[in-house]
Amino acid sequence: MASTPSKRTVTGADLSSRGEPYLWSMGGALALGLLMIFGFLGLVAWNGFITFYPKPVEVLRLKDGSMVAGEPTRSEMYRLPKNELDSLDEGARKSVQENKGFGLRTLYRTGNFDLYSEDFVWVSEFKIAERSAPKTVFFIERVEWGPFIGLLKTLTVKGERLVAASFTLDRLEKEHRKAVERRNRVRAIERDEMGALNHDLDRMRLALRRIDLEKGKDSPEYQAEEKKQNVRSAQLQTRYGLLQKEAEAIKREDGLYTAVLKDIRGTEKTLALSHIVRFYPANDLSFFQKVKVYGSRWLEFLTAEPREANTEGGVLPAIFGTFVMTVLLAVAVAPFGIMAALYLREYAKQGRLVSLVRICVNNLAGVPSIVYGVFGLGFFAYILGGTIDQIFFPERLPNPTFGSGGLLWSSLTLAMLTVPVVIVSTEEALAAVPQSMREGSLACGASKWQTIKNIVLPKAMPGIMTGLILAMARGAGEVAPLMLVGVVKIAPSLPLDEFFPFLHLERSFMHLGFHIYDVGFQSRNSEAGKPMVFVTTLLLIGLVALMNATAIYIRNRLKRKYYVGHF
Amino acid sequence: MLAESAKPKTAAGPPRREKKARRTVLIADAVADRTITIGGILVIVAVLGILVFLVAETFPLFRKGTANAEHTFPLEGRAEDVLGVSVDDYKTLAVFLTKEGKGSLYHAKTGVPLQRFSLDLEGRELTALATTPDRKYLVFGFSDGSVRFGALEFATEILSPGNLPQGLTKVDEQDSTDGSSVYSKIPGNQFRKVSFSLTLDKEFISVSETGKPLVALAYHVSGQAERQARAFVALDQEGIPSLNLVTSKINLLTGERRAQVTRAQLPPLPQGVKAHSILLTEKADQVLVAERSGMVYRYNTADLNNPVLAETVRVVPASSTLTAFGFLLGGQSLVVGGAEGSLNIFFLLKKEGADSKDGQALQLTRSFDRLPSSAVFFEPAIMGKNFAVADSKGNLFVYHGTSQKLLVQFPSDAKTGEYRTILLSPRMDGLLALQGDGRVRFWEFSLPHPETTIRTLFRKVWYEGYPEPTYTWQSSAMSEDYEPKFSLIPLIFGTIKAAFYSLLFAIPIAILGAIYTSEFVNLKVRAIVKPTMEMMASLPSVVLGFVAALVMAPVVETWIAAVLLVFLVVPAALMAAAYLWQMIPLRIALRIQGSPKFFATVLVVVCAIYGGIKLGDWFESLFFMGDFRAWVNGDVGGPEPMLFLLALPLTFLIVSVLVSRVYGRRLALLMKRMSQFRAALLEMGRWVGIVLLAVLCSLAMAKILALLGMDVRGTFVDTYVQRNTLIVGFAMGFAVIPIIYTIAEDALNAVPEHLRAASLGCGATPWQTAIYVVLPTAISGVFSAIMIGMGRAVGETMIVVMSAGNTPIIDMNIFNGLRALSATIAVELPEAVKDGTLYRILFLSGLVLFAMTFVINTVAEIIRLRFRKRAMQL
Repeated sequence: MASTPSKRTVTGADLSSRGEPYLWSMGGALALGLLMIFGFLGLVAWNGFITFYPKPVEVLRLKDGSMVAGEPTRSEMYRLPKNELDSLDEGARKSVQENKGFGLRTLYRTGNFDLYSEDFVWVSEFKIAERSAPKTVFFIERVEWGPFIGLLKTLTVKGERLVAASFTLDRLEKEHRKAVERRNRVRAIERDEMGALNHDLDRMRLALRRIDLEKGKDSPEYQAEEKKQNVRSAQLQTRYGLLQKEAEAIKREDGLYTAVLKDIRGTEKTLALSHIVRFYPANDLSFFQKVKVYGSRWLEFLTAEPREANTEGGVLPAIFGTFVMTVLLAVAVAPFGIMAALYLREYAKQGRLVSLVRICVNNLAGVPSIVYGVFGLGFFAYILGGTIDQIFFPERLPNPTFGSGGLLWSSLTLAMLTVPVVIVSTEEALAAVPQSMREGSLACGASKWQTIKNIVLPKAMPGIMTGLILAMARGAGEVAPLMLVGVVKIAPSLPLDEFFPFLHLERSFMHLGFHIYDVGFQSRNSEAGKPMVFVTTLLLIGLVALMNATAIYIRNRLKRKYYVGHF
Repeated sequence: MLAESAKPKTAAGPPRREKKARRTVLIADAVADRTITIGGILVIVAVLGILVFLVAETFPLFRKGTANAEHTFPLEGRAEDVLGVSVDDYKTLAVFLTKEGKGSLYHAKTGVPLQRFSLDLEGRELTALATTPDRKYLVFGFSDGSVRFGALEFATEILSPGNLPQGLTKVDEQDSTDGSSVYSKIPGNQFRKVSFSLTLDKEFISVSETGKPLVALAYHVSGQAERQARAFVALDQEGIPSLNLVTSKINLLTGERRAQVTRAQLPPLPQGVKAHSILLTEKADQVLVAERSGMVYRYNTADLNNPVLAETVRVVPASSTLTAFGFLLGGQSLVVGGAEGSLNIFFLLKKEGADSKDGQALQLTRSFDRLPSSAVFFEPAIMGKNFAVADSKGNLFVYHGTSQKLLVQFPSDAKTGEYRTILLSPRMDGLLALQGDGRVRFWEFSLPHPETTIRTLFRKVWYEGYPEPTYTWQSSAMSEDYEPKFSLIPLIFGTIKAAFYSLLFAIPIAILGAIYTSEFVNLKVRAIVKPTMEMMASLPSVVLGFVAALVMAPVVETWIAAVLLVFLVVPAALMAAAYLWQMIPLRIALRIQGSPKFFATVLVVVCAIYGGIKLGDWFESLFFMGDFRAWVNGDVGGPEPMLFLLALPLTFLIVSVLVSRVYGRRLALLMKRMSQFRAALLEMGRWVGIVLLAVLCSLAMAKILALLGMDVRGTFVDTYVQRNTLIVGFAMGFAVIPIIYTIAEDALNAVPEHLRAASLGCGATPWQTAIYVVLPTAISGVFSAIMIGMGRAVGETMIVVMSAGNTPIIDMNIFNGLRALSATIAVELPEAVKDGTLYRILFLSGLVLFAMTFVINTVAEIIRLRFRKRAMQL
């Protein structure tokens, strides 16, 4: 089309045929679409990545004399309500009026929820008398009650009081490390070791109940078992007592290591060192120290369990739940999806019925996920699970084992949801294998199954993998059906542990997507949870994007292979 | 075949090949064949089985009740003497009270007589008896005008087999008795003991001042056991009704219970009125006396010191008489049966210009199908809005008051004749009727879902306490005797509203963007843009919902005027940029028409958005009196601004079409003679002229419409709510745009290259090729893309759960929230009781959703296949 415009004189008549305004509106639409996407991803990425970076703590003296110390979170212009405007002094009112009734305010994260039962404060710009950033202010993350922002007053080591000036930060860090070790030890005792004992006791109780249900309380088996168990449970009780004593001893020692903190308004608070997760002088950090805090927060996020109604700590159980569920989903969906596609493409007689079935399968890919959730709850959990409970776990009734939502039912529901995707993509991959290859194989004397196994499937494998990965990506990001079939906000235990049968398919689990919904919408203070939600969002998007990118990469490679492989 | 036939001829040839397939291969082949066929069919059947399962789960909603068993037994004594009957929760005991103050207890299912007792009435004659709606308290009325309170209790207790008393006699398979209590074997190897007790208060309270016999009573008890407030109305033979409030206090020192009576004498009924019955509302603020002739006298007793006869109204046709009269549970629905077999429900509602003294009037709200003969007994259930009626021929019917569903019926057999009394068991699973000949008939039945019919789900229903029939979804409420309201219409409306607004936003962007990508962008850019968009399609919707609700909603709330302005500014800026671009000499324009132009477009869009936000304040103060939210509320300003904004695109379209019709030819001729630059200037001038003209026209139109009294506030725009449809539209746009875009782009791309080449070869510009050749060829594919996008918008769950506010109302207002089917399922199903009505209705919602998307997708798929075939042929 690169004609030579010089030969022909361009007149105005050419303009209208160029349709420039329409071109621009189309280009504008695409630009808008892309801007939306990149704006969205940018917003999530920025907020997600910035969250863990330590911010300075500002100390404000307000005009009414009160003090506020906190991390500035975000600022906005807002319209002052009439009564607030009237209560201002002359100067401030003037500046607001110049701004057409708008004022600037900043949201400060002040922490100290236990002292003032609020941890975020809006401060209007015109109320601030003085702003400073003292180097002595500490930002202290605690196991309970969220962060503490304030000064360190004294440190008690083994009952010996040290005033703030008389010890170094290194000393504090050393003591803190020891305290954290003690805390971990207590947790290990209480959760792992005592948990194992509880698990044993529970299993014994169920075994007894099972005998009771099968043979009755008066049977000799029951008597024998009861006698045996009495001995065993006495042993376990002693062990339990010993562990309890050990934990108490550590806790008692823990009480000797405390710090006295003082917040900016002068309220004091004594805190056991072991209750501190992390601390740093917010305004006295070098760049490397900040990076260190940033890194340690990410590490905690990825490897620890949630605290404070999921708004703090990590998301390991959610990552783990998402992962296990997605893997199970793939395990369930792959054989069935491929089998159905093989049938439709290689075995079924191509005709009206098969194309009708094909349309239906295609449509099912567009049926809302929540409908599958409804099906999963009604059929899998209640009907199938209820039956399994009655046959295999009568001793646990009326508490449901498989009869309520759980990992297995969630994976199966999502497998139902994604099986059309796998069928469609596998069919496409099978159709892309040239007919000549099949004919060649059959002509060499291979049976149909040999042809499929050795020629068709390997050739179609990249396409099948693409479909499978896309299905997994869709499954990993799906939340609505899971809300019905087994996802919970806090799972008491991971679906995988050291007790037989190791993988507990009946347990409910945590999920990254539901975590976002839960923390963002169900928690006490959505403001406190918001940073956490952004990071989780980033993680989930990253996970899904990674899967998609893999699928696209495989697809592209597949295309290249076929260009060569055609004959 | 060939080799085989050659075999006998030549013994020596090439080495013989093993031609027989090995056994294992054959077996593997057969196994694979079977497995894949069976497995494949099973998978497909299983997936399609979802539909079957959903239908099977929802089907019981529309079923009637089923009768399970019938028992009959004779009553000792005369049927005419029976004043009252009661049955316990488990249908084990039935108690009959007679006029003589005698009581007898029966085993309800077999009729085995158990215990007899008589009440100490101190020689007075019993003339009337009333129970509270929950049948726990009684009031007896006597011939000397006094009353006495009583309490009736069926105590239940769960016993283990070891605690069972000795010497029980067996009654039937499960039950045995010790003469007064019944012990029933229940699952889990336990026993349930049900025993009956009737206690009477010591004192008699004198009601009738003249000492005339009481003929009718109605009784209510409220408050806790220690501070009970009892209210009853009594009607004596003279026709003088009185309302009595009895508060009893327990003296803390002596433990003595003292009753204090406040009596309000109601204005007497007219002379000669033969009262049928008397009713009292729960709050004791209305007393209704029905006359046999069909007149109802309504007293308003809200002010106890000054009760008034508020209304006298006829509730049956003049030719008929009243035969049944009573409240459904809750005291809001008045059921009236007429002699001609009519059965109607009346509500007491506020009414303008009502013919009554308190501004309220009894209004007919529901009519039932005519009964074979007049309803003579009416019996409300003590749970829900069910009731039973017996007609004069001995037919029995059980209805649900709201859904008007006939739940079960027991036709009369020849011997039956008229019933003396009927009773619904407390759990709505049994009906006891006493025949005139002294036989008791007792049916057991189950009514799984009495409150749902197609009508209550999809049509307007007049609920208690509502001034008119409405579509209402209210699955749970605080108060105890509330009635769940399950209309799916608000939810379907919400679903469609969300889908509509999001498509309004998504379709232009997605389709225009797809055309641009497919026709005007070079391959390299396309290779980046397309996968980016595809990746967006798989973005988890929970993420979109979160960002929309917690980040976008507050921002949009603050900057709403600016956001609206951006919708105007962006197209305008793009147009302006296009006309400016035309001024660039063609030589240069061709050189930079690729990526530089696209980046210029991006820049223009960014600048327009920025400019729109900057101008937001100005726009708000110019159009909306400086406060958009106050304006949409209707607090400030007139209707013109929004009318103007809505009229603007329309007038712009009309004006530009008119201009091109009238002056188009002349302008084209004129432009032919001009240089490109001057023609571009002219074009721009024309555009500016059209815009100005359109603005003027819209202003005029807005003014005229406003003068005509039209105002979009109150319909399409109204009170601003933070989480609203605009936000849902935005967020869902993110989910839908990539889908529509990808599929539409695929369709456009599938148009064969030779069509483009031919068009361009004929001298058409790329733009002309795109619009007149490519788009018409691909239009069905593009349409199917829109349909698939719609399917996704309809079923999207997390975005609507999080950012739509979840208010189940029918409201066109774009600034109000909504509640979609999918969101309702996600929020309410985890809490719904298995196999309950809500559970099944949510399954029905799932089915509706399934059907909606299935239809949409099937249409899309058929269109797509047709398109594909056509594209192949080209």
